[in-house]
Amino acid sequence: MVYYIASLSLILIGLYGVLVKKNLIKIVLSLSLINAGIHILLIAIGYIDGRTAPIFSTPELRPEQMVDPVPQALVLTAIVIGLAITALALTIVIRLYDHHKTLDVSKIRELKW
Amino acid sequence: MRKILAVFFIGVFGYYMLAILMDFPFGIDHLNPGLAGAYLKDTVSKTGAVNVVTSIIVNYRGFDTLGEVTVLFLAATGMSALLYDGKTMNRSRQNASVIVKAGSRLLFPLIIILGAYVFIHGHLTPGGGFQGGAIIASGFLLMFISYRNYHVSHRILSNVESTAGSVFVVLGLLGLLYGATFLENIMPLGIPNKLFSGGLIPLIYIAVGFKVGAELTALLDTMLKTVK
Amino acid sequence: MMFDPVLMIALPLLAAFLIPVINRFSKAIPKYIPVVVIGFNLYESIMLLPYSMVKPVIVIIAGWQPPLGINLTIGPLGNILALMISLVGFVVAIYNIKFVTEEPTEKYYMLFLLIITGATGVVLTGDLFNMFVFLEITSISAYALTAFIRDRNGAEAAFKYLLIGGIASTMILLGIAIIYTYTGTLNLADIAQKMQYVDPKIALAAMVLLIVGFGVEAELFPLNGWAPDAYSQAPTPVGAVFGGIVVKAGVYGLARMIYTIFNFEGVFYFLMIMGLITLLMAEMSAMRQSQIKRMLAFSSIGQMGLVFIAFGLATQRGVEGALFQMLNHALLKPLLFLSAGYLVYYSGSKNIEDLDGMGRRKPFLAFFFAFGAFAIMGLPPLNGFWSKMIIISETIRNGFVIVAAFVLAGSVIEAVYYLRVVGRLYFKKHDDNQQEKYVHGSAIFAMSILVILAIVIGLYPDLVMQYLKPAAEELVNKSLYIQSVFAIN
Repeated sequence: MVYYIASLSLILIGLYGVLVKKNLIKIVLSLSLINAGIHILLIAIGYIDGRTAPIFSTPELRPEQMVDPVPQALVLTAIVIGLAITALALTIVIRLYDHHKTLDVSKIRELKW
Repeated sequence: MRKILAVFFIGVFGYYMLAILMDFPFGIDHLNPGLAGAYLKDTVSKTGAVNVVTSIIVNYRGFDTLGEVTVLFLAATGMSALLYDGKTMNRSRQNASVIVKAGSRLLFPLIIILGAYVFIHGHLTPGGGFQGGAIIASGFLLMFISYRNYHVSHRILSNVESTAGSVFVVLGLLGLLYGATFLENIMPLGIPNKLFSGGLIPLIYIAVGFKVGAELTALLDTMLKTVK
Repeated sequence: MMFDPVLMIALPLLAAFLIPVINRFSKAIPKYIPVVVIGFNLYESIMLLPYSMVKPVIVIIAGWQPPLGINLTIGPLGNILALMISLVGFVVAIYNIKFVTEEPTEKYYMLFLLIITGATGVVLTGDLFNMFVFLEITSISAYALTAFIRDRNGAEAAFKYLLIGGIASTMILLGIAIIYTYTGTLNLADIAQKMQYVDPKIALAAMVLLIVGFGVEAELFPLNGWAPDAYSQAPTPVGAVFGGIVVKAGVYGLARMIYTIFNFEGVFYFLMIMGLITLLMAEMSAMRQSQIKRMLAFSSIGQMGLVFIAFGLATQRGVEGALFQMLNHALLKPLLFLSAGYLVYYSGSKNIEDLDGMGRRKPFLAFFFAFGAFAIMGLPPLNGFWSKMIIISETIRNGFVIVAAFVLAGSVIEAVYYLRVVGRLYFKKHDDNQQEKYVHGSAIFAMSILVILAIVIGLYPDLVMQYLKPAAEELVNKSLYIQSVFAIN
């Protein structure tokens, strides 16, 4: 239960940051915070009480003793996608800073928002 | 005003999400016998890999992983395209202290070996190509921050990237050549829990490990060099 | 001869991975690679058509049956959209050859190839999470391409796009998490089957999250704030790709969600109202624009509004109209963008006022632009007329007379601002002499393909309609789709 609440809080904090913060870096940070929250949520969804990781490293292990492997696989993919978005976002932030010499989003308004 | 609106929106969103999650108690046994249950039951006998997550990533949902590798490739490509300046730049940071330098010299080969271990054993132990690649890139990051002039050839990195990516696709196409489907595991499965098992799975994961390591290193290097 | 359809995705990826190596040997080859690879996709999607029209082609990947592994489910709808995407991609790839000179060019071609692969993957795949991955491939390359010309506004537009798109992708991921929690599967057909046992409250939440996610790429109001900036700041061929390809992938995702996966009657009214608002807002904003590419971007959003209205009808004929409109938009919007790109290039300014008298100096280009404008306004007997007529008559037949009236009003506004530009091209004199530049032959060739196809479709609309019928049926009657996936077990 605590994992649900924690991941949900991360998502909500991230959303708040994206909506309210003015600093470009903070916005990118908030975006990856939302992502991290969803990843934790997915892992929490796959968890089953009293079970272990889905690796048959010893012969005694039975499938009935293992948690859901699918969310873990999905999270791995989602992490990479989140990383790619973050990397590209930071690149664009570097570019924006080169041109405008500021990180304040309210001062970068040449196009109509 | 903007803050109040944001808090209101977040409150509504959070309330609904919590209400949805409340319908699904934490930690209960909910496996869908057709999918997750089948993965757990059949993976070892049908793919030869004992790490079920790895076999899902590389074999059952290998197509996703191909897309995932592409996404990372895209990030590296997009980044170097956007930061392209036509001239080479240097990192502007100071040299680190002697202790850090000596320590990172010592640690660097160990980190690389650990990374290689993680991606070679992806089908046996927790870890795999992405994790191993990230470890290797962290080794390079250590060198970047301790040595001002530590240089990695982007030409080599980009060659490794291209080769590893092509190897992944070609391993997939082999399946078609052999009359099976794309990415099908056409090699002998071997004995579970041995290094040489799982058919194509370790091969693909090694390619992914090289690719991710090279890409993340290139990404870090590009970013560090633009800081003025 | 037909190859395995998975090559439509595997080969472009392989080519994109190899471009940096090839570029070492020769700087000239990379620009032809997209033409060849997307040409193959075009060939393949045409060859696939007779098969998919009969029953959806299921392509197994990695040897696992549908719920276990990922599979491509190529129904009539997916095939027609893949055809549309590779056609537009092919044309733009030809146009690119001479037009793109911005360094590093090989990176441009890699990104261009991947944006098209991503969109193709979205329309072909039969797995929800795989669809998300391909959508991300499309949108991440779109972000990078938006900022490809490294100027001030490009970076700003790209950041705006990335922010909205990034939040959208998290929403899709959250929606997938909810769906997986309650159905335990990721295969689209399997989800559609199991969704009826899920509590409607939860299904509604998942649907809202997915609509928000796909709505960004589909330019659904109010999620389309990125579009005008991204269209106008990106290199011209990329603007054409946004209008012709990226939007189509988003609309496909949206349609697949609301028609196949979820089962809510109310969402269709919602979609119709949103479509109407999208249409009116966009046409009104397009009226006020002084830059030609921004005007085209708003016009593109407006066309999508029309498509949403038609999808909101949820009748066989309405969906046919929507698909026909999408096809016309896929032909005409790139035509307008590509010709406008050269017009801007010659006049040296993005403003509409500076295009005066181009009709005399660049007759070909002006003709292409005027043709596209007339066709998209819906002048009979051009192709835009037929799709608009189907949509309006179907709206009236279903009793939404007010909606039809608004659509007509929107069309009138559209006609006004397009005619304003066309009038400037032909009837205004411009006296200062700029240096003469040639129009590249490859670009003329690319645009002629679009014009010829548009004329053929305008004269023989039934030629296309026979293919759109089964595609519309696939959406309206979802049990067809579900059964075809499970029939192979």
